[in-house]
Amino acid sequence: MRRSRALAPIAAFLGLAVVVAVLPSFVSGFRAQQFAYVAIYLTALIGLNILTGYTGQISLGHGAFMAIGGYTTAILMVDHGVKDIWTIPVAAVVTGVVGFLFGIPALRLSGLYLALATFAVAVSMPAVIKRFEGFTGGGGGLNLFGLPELTASLEPVTVLGRELTFNDWLYYLCWTVALVGYVIAWLMLRGRTGRALRAVRDSETAAQSSGVSLPAYKTLAFGVSAAYAGVAGSLFAIATTFVNPDTFPIALSILLLVGVVVGGLGSLVGLIAGAVFIQFLPIWSQQVSKSPGAPAVVSGVVLIALMFVLPMGVAGLAARLRTLTKR
Amino acid sequence: MTRRIAFALTALVLTLATGVTAALAGTGRSSADPGVTPTSILLGTTSPLSGAASAYASVARGADAYFKYVNARGGVNGRKIVDTIVDDQYNPQLTVQATRQLVEQDKVFAVFNGLGTEQNLAVRDYLNANKVPQLFAASGATAFGSETAKYPYTIGLQPSYQAEGWVLGKYLARTQGAAKVAVLFQNDDYGKDLLNGFKKGIERSRVRVAAAQPYEATAPDVQSQVAKLRSSGANVFAVFATPKAAIQAYVYANKLGWKPKLSLTNAVSSASNIMQLASEGGTNKVVEGSVSIVFLKDPTDPKWKKDAAMKLYRSIMKRYAPSANANDVYHVYGMAAAWTAVEAIRKAGKNLTRDGLVKVVAAMNLSGNPFLLPGIGLKTGPGDHFPIEQMLLQRWHKGTWKSFGGIWGYRTA
Repeated sequence: MRRSRALAPIAAFLGLAVVVAVLPSFVSGFRAQQFAYVAIYLTALIGLNILTGYTGQISLGHGAFMAIGGYTTAILMVDHGVKDIWTIPVAAVVTGVVGFLFGIPALRLSGLYLALATFAVAVSMPAVIKRFEGFTGGGGGLNLFGLPELTASLEPVTVLGRELTFNDWLYYLCWTVALVGYVIAWLMLRGRTGRALRAVRDSETAAQSSGVSLPAYKTLAFGVSAAYAGVAGSLFAIATTFVNPDTFPIALSILLLVGVVVGGLGSLVGLIAGAVFIQFLPIWSQQVSKSPGAPAVVSGVVLIALMFVLPMGVAGLAARLRTLTKR
Repeated sequence: MTRRIAFALTALVLTLATGVTAALAGTGRSSADPGVTPTSILLGTTSPLSGAASAYASVARGADAYFKYVNARGGVNGRKIVDTIVDDQYNPQLTVQATRQLVEQDKVFAVFNGLGTEQNLAVRDYLNANKVPQLFAASGATAFGSETAKYPYTIGLQPSYQAEGWVLGKYLARTQGAAKVAVLFQNDDYGKDLLNGFKKGIERSRVRVAAAQPYEATAPDVQSQVAKLRSSGANVFAVFATPKAAIQAYVYANKLGWKPKLSLTNAVSSASNIMQLASEGGTNKVVEGSVSIVFLKDPTDPKWKKDAAMKLYRSIMKRYAPSANANDVYHVYGMAAAWTAVEAIRKAGKNLTRDGLVKVVAAMNLSGNPFLLPGIGLKTGPGDHFPIEQMLLQRWHKGTWKSFGGIWGYRTA
């Protein structure tokens, strides 16, 4: 039993990796690019879930952490000539440190107050970015298109003997990063750290009396979570080849929270569904109707319906199905 | 635990299925240039159909209605124009994704009438690198008209914000003597272009900018800025804003009891419906007598009641966009853009190519666009991708705009 407990997720993960690896052969380059954005969202959702789903700290400001990651990448590429892929770890470290530091004052806040504080960060981010115009390009943003620092743009790139177009390259880059992030999160959450975080979520008092240091684990969760968002933001910049303050609107932070809730708080595998949902819902809802305001209404109705049908997200549905079939 | 695997696989299969079905829908066709068949021309437009800026969606809808009208009368050179409108929520990142969809999946012939400054900037390099025309970008940023050597496939349409600011400034310099101006401007390229043009217009005159207050496009209101501007002691209030902030600026100025001698406002926020909101049922004296520029026929202006073009406009709206508010001047803007596109495509001839079309729009000299004010032409040339560079001044009086004086011209390039 013990062995199968460890083997099943690994088997599932390998299955996922195989599907991810072969998918571009079946879909158009453009479609592959859309799935690259799914991987980017997945990365951000894993991060947000570590904080919100596992540690119980609600964040409405992860779009701001993505902005920090995105701008780190863009500034390194434009001003310092750093190759795109090497900016990803830098973005992770920078955003991780910012997240960790933000976690310190956030220790004093809980529940709705923390949600408000993080929301404030997301709201003020565009103004902060515009304030440092010489550094960030202000409202006009930074354009990465055609920079030699991009691994692939118009010209295809050869990786491991295979020629990849920009879209396919983007797809493999984003999914590789997302899957590595997935494994790291899984390893972190299955052991001692994961137990401690869940204990903080379920009851801070109980966690403390069992010897779990609240400040240490909360700031850790903030730091790791922000680092994931930073990596996602970095990939966002590379994929879009453009960053400006409007690229990271408040709506993005809310969309990420929607993704985590739809995927299932406190679940990793459900996040794939959450990422697919937030990438494709706006596109689907446009196909339903394009009349004024209609796409937004369709998205809203789908979301409400989904919360009725799947109150615990897609992962909750899976758990429910499990108990049903066991009976 | 096997169920867990089963679930994971189900999730993946679902993921795959959405991708594959959607991919099948977008199988491309092959011809010399994408998007052109003997019977059709495919254009693509990015527009904020949803989100905070969705008021601008009328621009794309007005254009679409005009294309449908042209198609019903046989199209252009025997081809019908199909305009695919994609929502970008005014978010440049989504504009990039939507534009890639239009070019790579829908395989459009050209991108037309995409809305927004940053939104058009975000895709300009991509479109030029792929040699896809970026036709009549709906933004007055100077970047779209002046960098023609680097971006030959990009062309604007409306007067640049710089030109607009210049005309307003020049008007003050000529008529107001030693005026002191307080400027509220949006803190981005849009607001700064207007302000810079304005400063150029008042050069070598006795008009001075007494105070200039920026506000963020995302800011909930502009009350504190208006209060600071009022205390500057200026007697002219210039509002270089987007519609929401412009309404607030007028309302707060009135609330604070500020009585400037004259107010100026820019074209984007001077649509009649916006001015009516700002005038608080005609009680707001700051709004009365405001001066703005105009290049489109305003559907609410009684002057155009019997105008053939505006009658046509209303009949097209009624037929092809029946649920839309025909008083919204953004629809007229869309139709003016669509009219220009139709003329350009007609001139590019039966053998339609992207390069051929770009050649036409880069050396354009069109007059008689029925949706523009009489006498305003569309002219481009080497280094000048600003089709409209002429405009009229108008004054707000008792609930409507009235144009006055002759045509003003300004060459941004």
